[in-house]
Amino acid sequence: MSKREDKVEFDVGMYAAREKIHPREVDGTFQRLRHLAVIVLLGIYYGLPWITWDGRQAVLFDLPARQFHIFALTFWPQDFVYLALLLILAALSLFFFTALAGRMWCGYACPQTVWTEAFMWMERWTEGKRQQRLKLDKSPWTASKFLRRGSKHVLWVVFALYTGFTFVGYFTPIRELSVSVATFGLGPWETFWLLFYAFATWGNAGFLREQVCIYMCPYARFQSAMFDPNSLIISYDEQRGEPRGGRSRNIDHRAHGLGDCIDCNLCVQACPTGIDIRDGLQYECIACAACIDACDSVMDKMNYPRGLIRYTTDNAMEGKPSHILRPRIVIYAVLLLALMAGTAYSLTQRTPLAMEVLADRNVLYRDVDFETVENIYTVRILNKDREARDYVLSVDGLPGAEVVTRPEHIRVDAGGTGQVTASVRVPREEARGTGHSIELRLQATDDEAIQRTNTARFHGPREE
Amino acid sequence: MPVAMSKERWLQCLGSTLWPSFLAAAVASVVFFASIDPETLRMQTLPDWDMSRMAGYTIGFFMFWAVGLFSSSLTYLLSGGGNRRHE
Repeated sequence: MSKREDKVEFDVGMYAAREKIHPREVDGTFQRLRHLAVIVLLGIYYGLPWITWDGRQAVLFDLPARQFHIFALTFWPQDFVYLALLLILAALSLFFFTALAGRMWCGYACPQTVWTEAFMWMERWTEGKRQQRLKLDKSPWTASKFLRRGSKHVLWVVFALYTGFTFVGYFTPIRELSVSVATFGLGPWETFWLLFYAFATWGNAGFLREQVCIYMCPYARFQSAMFDPNSLIISYDEQRGEPRGGRSRNIDHRAHGLGDCIDCNLCVQACPTGIDIRDGLQYECIACAACIDACDSVMDKMNYPRGLIRYTTDNAMEGKPSHILRPRIVIYAVLLLALMAGTAYSLTQRTPLAMEVLADRNVLYRDVDFETVENIYTVRILNKDREARDYVLSVDGLPGAEVVTRPEHIRVDAGGTGQVTASVRVPREEARGTGHSIELRLQATDDEAIQRTNTARFHGPREE
Repeated sequence: MPVAMSKERWLQCLGSTLWPSFLAAAVASVVFFASIDPETLRMQTLPDWDMSRMAGYTIGFFMFWAVGLFSSSLTYLLSGGGNRRHE
């Protein structure tokens, strides 16, 4: 078999109509790994919103209430720094894994790949294997074709809608959401986002597929910048394979001047992006390793050693040693570890309390009596905890200073904000001059660990 | 002047305008709404309107997307867009 009709030509200059790619189904170590990844990742996505923690949904991005719940942690808009940290961590991990293992992300974990795979399974269940699908494409609209196509689309749409439903379930409690869906009581915004996400899933995984990777993905364009000769790539061993050609299984092909590649084209048929890996590394390659599994199965049949197409590095291909530990990897790893440790530490040290101290702008200071001067501050309190608390304010930094708030115990609801006027009084003799540093400390009455200290300026009368 | 665009070119055009602006809008919405509550905005601008926070977020997101789309489209157009050989 040495037909070339399977190869999809991307005649970019002419923009020839794109041929739909029907990847051949292959089995092998890497495909099983990928299936496992798909099941685990989709399992997490669809399962997570249903987990309950402490009487509420474990992972809930409660936008209307402006709180993010992630298991035991609750984040507020003030915790924005953690989101930034998370994004930096994600970017660094991507750099690290790309330098180390190439496009692992694309092949195994990218949502585009994962959902496309799931959609292809449904296509396979309804429309059959590659040859059957190719035939079905060409066949006229018979009842059978109608039935097969129709059931594929029904499956796709239902799956996409459920995906959209789950997506909204991360933002609206999913149990309530399922009741609303069942009783047709879904709000307009929920309906909109459900349909929007379902449509995106359906379009991306059902129709666009590899075109997302080729035309739309920014990562595909810049990932090569993170590669070096030691990065893991999928490569065809040209030295071993060429010259390619068909042959009988019984002959000594070396004696006939042939390489190990029998030019069966299975690697091309298996490729979900429609490239020929034997042409060298191409940016369309998402490193799904389907060609490796396809080729290995052929090598087994021919009784040739496996690995004509394999995971390897540029260095290994050129017969040089490959290094895992190299400066780039070490730097990424150290940065990544430091950031992760720092984030984890700061998360454990987080106090569920925030405070803002604003000095009264109208009056610098006020005489209470002959002995005492006072400064007025507005103290804003945010209780980030999940229960209401009482707080008391105290002051430090100037001898004899005291603070008066009314009421003395400031009660703030769970997740609420409170505001109180605090007057700090200092003996006149201690308060001479402007710009003294004082420390205002807010302390929960029932838990010593919950406290915040802010620095403020205290102004007294001029020195005489 | 470009003649009728082929389906592939259309897809490419959409891919290189809709998609980057979508990403930018997502980031912008997160950053913007993390520090600004749509409820505060509504109170200060259109206190008579009855709008939920969700509506605020959604409108904000689509505004960012529209702005991003405008910019992406101009970039696409000015950098050769439809006439450029895609590499």
